[in-house]
Amino acid sequence: MPRGQPLATVFWLLLSLGVALPLWVLAWRGLGDLAILPRVLDLAGVSLLLALLGSLLCLGVGGGLAWLAFRARLHTGWDTLLLPAYLVPPFVGALGFLYALQLVNVQPYGVGGILLAWTAHYAPVAYLLLRPALESKLAPLLLACEVHGVTGWKRVRALVPPLFPALVAAFGALYLTLLGNFGVPAVLGLPAQVYTLPTLAYARLFSPASPDPLGEAAAIGLLLGLLAVPALLLSSQPTGEPSPRPLRPRGVWAARGAFILFALLAVVFPLVGLVRRALFNTFTGAFQPAFGDAWALPLVRQGLFNSLLLALLATGLLLLLGLLLAPHRGALKRLRQVLDLHYLLPGTLLALGLILLLAPTPVYATPWILLLAYLLNFAALMLRSMEAGLESGIERLVGVGKLFGLRHGRAWWKIGFPLLRPYLAAGVFLVLPLCLAELTLSAMLYAPGSETLGVAVLSALNGGLFREAAAIGLMLMALSLLLLWVPRKGVVG
Amino acid sequence: MLRLENLTKNFGKAGVFGASLHLTPGEIVAVLGASGSGKTTLLNLVAGLLEPDSGRIFLGNEDVTRQPPEKRGLGYVFQDHALWPHLSALEHLLLVMKTPDRAQAHHLLERVGLGGLEARKPHQLSGGQKQRVALARALAAKPRLLLLDEPYSALDPVLREELRLEVALLLRAEQVSALHVTHDPDEALAVADRVAVMEGGRIVQVDTPAEVYARPQTLAAARAFGRLNLLAVEVQGGQVQLGGQTWAVHGLERGPGLLAFRYEDLAVAPEGLPAKVLAVYGGRGERLCRVNLGVGEAVVKLSAAPGEQVRLAPLGELRVFPLSQEARAHEQGKAR
Repeated sequence: MPRGQPLATVFWLLLSLGVALPLWVLAWRGLGDLAILPRVLDLAGVSLLLALLGSLLCLGVGGGLAWLAFRARLHTGWDTLLLPAYLVPPFVGALGFLYALQLVNVQPYGVGGILLAWTAHYAPVAYLLLRPALESKLAPLLLACEVHGVTGWKRVRALVPPLFPALVAAFGALYLTLLGNFGVPAVLGLPAQVYTLPTLAYARLFSPASPDPLGEAAAIGLLLGLLAVPALLLSSQPTGEPSPRPLRPRGVWAARGAFILFALLAVVFPLVGLVRRALFNTFTGAFQPAFGDAWALPLVRQGLFNSLLLALLATGLLLLLGLLLAPHRGALKRLRQVLDLHYLLPGTLLALGLILLLAPTPVYATPWILLLAYLLNFAALMLRSMEAGLESGIERLVGVGKLFGLRHGRAWWKIGFPLLRPYLAAGVFLVLPLCLAELTLSAMLYAPGSETLGVAVLSALNGGLFREAAAIGLMLMALSLLLLWVPRKGVVG
Repeated sequence: MLRLENLTKNFGKAGVFGASLHLTPGEIVAVLGASGSGKTTLLNLVAGLLEPDSGRIFLGNEDVTRQPPEKRGLGYVFQDHALWPHLSALEHLLLVMKTPDRAQAHHLLERVGLGGLEARKPHQLSGGQKQRVALARALAAKPRLLLLDEPYSALDPVLREELRLEVALLLRAEQVSALHVTHDPDEALAVADRVAVMEGGRIVQVDTPAEVYARPQTLAAARAFGRLNLLAVEVQGGQVQLGGQTWAVHGLERGPGLLAFRYEDLAVAPEGLPAKVLAVYGGRGERLCRVNLGVGEAVVKLSAAPGEQVRLAPLGELRVFPLSQEARAHEQGKAR
């Protein structure tokens, strides 16, 4: 065993324990308040069923679109029609559906509205997870079926089983996301008293009637964690490189139609709701943009300032961390694995854990607790982006530079970092908007003076300022759509 | 220039075992062997990309065994080029030069036939042009030793032949010592002053290409150059009996063995072994026939028509390699 190895093992063990400390504290406190659980088991059931049903819907719609696109050999440019639905923050999408459904006189609140907003937002995730799996795993098998005349049931038997791992992984990822989602149930569930575990934990935490709000919220968080853990085992990403296959396009117009229909329902429909509310007076119908009124709200200005500050700081620090760790791929991977815990598990658990851990410190009730939460929550995302770059062969090319006599630092400066640039940009464009429009963590961790933009929207909504909420939502939507220009290409070689 | 002393790197079944080799200044040595014979591992040990379990590596008089790659002053031409995608051809050279000299870099690019393409990035170059950039980069570093790892295997045959001759000329003109890994015997014959044949991680023979081809010391060395026929035989008193013919052999005095001969080692002779021509093929200036010798089939350089009966005899004494029973059964199976 190398001399430094036991020391390194101890270091990583301590770091893992430290990073997981909020969860340990949450578990400890939650175990002391288990008495609440029998009273919330029915809600846990609702949460579980909603997450399962939502995952199946997303998988059905996203998987269906992936299949249609795969059979039609649809160009990836068509993805642009699906992506806006995913790039807009879920609670903004929910806000859009709230107003749009009211426009057509459909009751937006409750299970139906939540499932609709979830499906619109997360079906593109299922699409993005399954399309590469179809291209890499199914294309050669389908080609073999076509060439050898395998049709009907036999074809289904030949094609479906190889796809199971990808389907299970996509389902696991969707289930984890929906179980922990706070924004959509907060907008479309809370007003109708439809609770999921994250919104219930939120409600208990701020309940003036509860004798021990923090303990009860922790116990609910513990239950949420228990429901999430099994899915962690399923949520590994399906792998496989797409390889071009000479498959004949089938159902091109059906696929194009489905993409357009999805874009109309999932993007244009809520957008119309938001635009109508934000730009026109609800009662008179006159053109009267609400942006000025929204900006006049001190909470909005404060929220924008805090969100910008936190987003820039969190992204900058994570970028720096990524750059420092890039030359040490092993350490980067290990740290990412440790931090995956907070990225994959519902944000509610992290927020409650941080409250319990830091309540006695001066950091509590300041923007800095939010910064810490953002760093812990989004670090894995930035590090994954860096890892993708390193796995694309950049590390080897730096090694080639060293072989030609370049010193370690110079080799990274001249070769490694320039080649990592697209991956750094992808990481920044992923983390920055997520921080800007974050709601789950900030809704639980904010204090007067440290409100974020998400909190401002939620407060405006709760205070009956629907038009102002729509105006801020519209701005957030526009901001999120900038993500469409994210450089997705890797290194050209 | 380069001295390897008893170099070992054990990966379990694969690796390099007890390899010793010596390169003189300006010499080009080809390391020839089948896939998995340890060629690339040997190259990576010399480059410092792998650390040996035992043995020593000297560059000049300097022991570089534990030195990191960047301190060894080597050039490396990779099979997949390993070019930096964000740099132009010229920038590749300038980055590795100890004192960047644009005029010299331009001159070097001219020499490898890339004049006018200095500003192009790898994705704007063809496969052959990329390989030329890789070579120019390696030369620009003014390496003490150049390592080439199957540098032409990704190129089409015409370009491969053209480029390897050009590169060999260039290396000789620049007096650069080179260790050139390849599994292509034609490449080894074309570029190398000497050939080191590897099998199972060991260097089994080091000699001039002509000598290894004509007088291989092991079966692996004989096989490394291809164009080989193998017939399972029983040797008695330095002779083998084939279809009533007695041929004198060397390499084995008595017992089971494999008679090894090249396509050109048999010729038509009135008193020779009767053989029937089964098929005729070839090109590139020679005509090859697959013949049935009665005791097995062989490929022979011969002018004959399919179905024709000929008599064949060896031009000189042939070589027999001793074989275990197990290996013999395997060879007999293959011969059938």
